[in-house]
Amino acid sequence: MSLDTNFMVKVAYTALQGIPVTLNIVLVALLISLPIGVLFALIRIYRIKVLEQFVKFYVSLVRGTPIIAQILIVYSAFPSLLNVIIGKAAFDINPIYYAYIVFTLNSIATLTEVFRSALQTVDKGQMEAGLMVGMQPRQTFWRIILPQALISAVPNIANATLYLIKNSSLAFIMSVKDITAIAKTEAAFNYNFLEAYLVVWVYYLIICYSAEVIFYLLERYFSRYRRPTKQTTGFNWLPFSLKQPKLTAKTDLTESERTNHANN
Amino acid sequence: MLTIEGLKKSYAGHDILKGISFNVNKGDVISIIGPSGSGKTTLLRTITTLEEADGGHISFAGIDNDFQKLNGKDINTIRRNVGFVFQNYNLFNNKTALQNITEGLIVARKVKKSEAKKIALEALERVGLTDRQNHYPSQLSGGQQQRVGIARAIALNPQVIFFDEPTSALDPELVGEVLKVMQDLANSGTTMVVVTHQMNFARDVSNRVIFMADGYIVEQGSPKKIFENPSEERTKKFLTDILSNV
Ligand SMILES: Nc1ncnc2c1ncn2[C@@H]1O[C@H](COP(=O)(O)OP(=O)(O)OP(=O)(O)O)[C@@H](O)[C@H]1O
Ligand SMILES: [Mg+2]
Repeated sequence: MSLDTNFMVKVAYTALQGIPVTLNIVLVALLISLPIGVLFALIRIYRIKVLEQFVKFYVSLVRGTPIIAQILIVYSAFPSLLNVIIGKAAFDINPIYYAYIVFTLNSIATLTEVFRSALQTVDKGQMEAGLMVGMQPRQTFWRIILPQALISAVPNIANATLYLIKNSSLAFIMSVKDITAIAKTEAAFNYNFLEAYLVVWVYYLIICYSAEVIFYLLERYFSRYRRPTKQTTGFNWLPFSLKQPKLTAKTDLTESERTNHANN
Repeated sequence: MLTIEGLKKSYAGHDILKGISFNVNKGDVISIIGPSGSGKTTLLRTITTLEEADGGHISFAGIDNDFQKLNGKDINTIRRNVGFVFQNYNLFNNKTALQNITEGLIVARKVKKSEAKKIALEALERVGLTDRQNHYPSQLSGGQQQRVGIARAIALNPQVIFFDEPTSALDPELVGEVLKVMQDLANSGTTMVVVTHQMNFARDVSNRVIFMADGYIVEQGSPKKIFENPSEERTKKFLTDILSNV
């Protein structure tokens, strides 16, 4: 067996057009589900009547079904539903909107749980301290509680994003022209499936890795307040680095390290 | 200045405060002592509205009302006129030492930023932490965090500051620096109500000591009276126990 490298280059080139599609799905789903996730998490934490039941039900509905089933349901339900409302035009809608809907609905459930646990990690003494300096609960929430919760949620948001990126490859089922779909179409001409899938594989690897780096940097930037900066003088033994680094005594773990420890 | 009458509080059917009455005058430094579980923390928390009382009366800062009839406005008034120093500091973790102090000034009191910073720096100076103004709580020792906690309370210039065991979460070698700051405050006329297990502070710094047990004030009086000549058997026993443990 040998790989048709010319074909791989060709697929790699055409599949490039799929990257923005994939990224679009991921970004739209994330941006919409982040605030809704916070809202849903608050509804659960403050046990708001009726709404709490709805959120609970919604989350378990999404978490208890495979994403493929969610895709199939949305993709078959929405067009016929819209058909009733706006008529035939419903079938001309760009399928990417269905992808937005499925993946947003899906992320909302994941992020609700992420924020719920993140908000619970913030000590309730923070709210009390806010009240005792005369701030309103709402002011304390926005200025003190939420920023801390968001930061401790970053590693789990990163996780959710990676799943989202990978799951978005299922959008081809809705005939969305994302990376996977383009590669599959190309491969279908000559049955070079392995080559096409290898390209897909590499692309997702790159995207996921980039996302990981971005989240790592975000976390490092935002959690600077967690790390003591006791500076110690030390010599840099790294052979090829000219700069002497500022060494910081690290007594506190970053959140992802903590999560990793917890998982071990 | 602050008068509490018949304050009651229960948790899930357990009576924790069974009718507490006392008053605080301007410039008072009151120490509240008593065994663990006697309701000292609950007392401070109900007076400062962190916890809802089940009965009793408060007159303070223009309010003269039953606890249960306090409306939102009254609660805001109480909160604006008290300071609270927590056992575990409760500094805002996402704010620097300076921001911890300016936060309430700017957000709650609507003080201009530059003015707030000036007030905050003065407060930090009083607790000897000017050089740590840009440190986050995680970068400060326990003693330093508690001093920032105190600075945060005094910067708002409340009528009375409540301290809930401000030194009991600290390593023994850090207790002194915090007590020193509190002593300075007392000397400068700050009105303070301090729950403490530091008998030296109660005896040497406060002008009145309240002994609580089982949700009641068993007795109160000058430190001299309470420590040298307590009239209640429970007070004697508590003091003998605690002083023999040192
Ligand atoms: N939120 C709560 N829910 C139920 N019970 C509580 C709650 N807070 C306090 N209690 C109970 O109230 C009683 C008094 O507690 P409190 O914390 O006021 O005592 P304390 O005098 O401050 O004790 P310590 O010296 O240990 O701090 C205890 O029996 C405690 O278990
Ligand atoms: Mg207590």
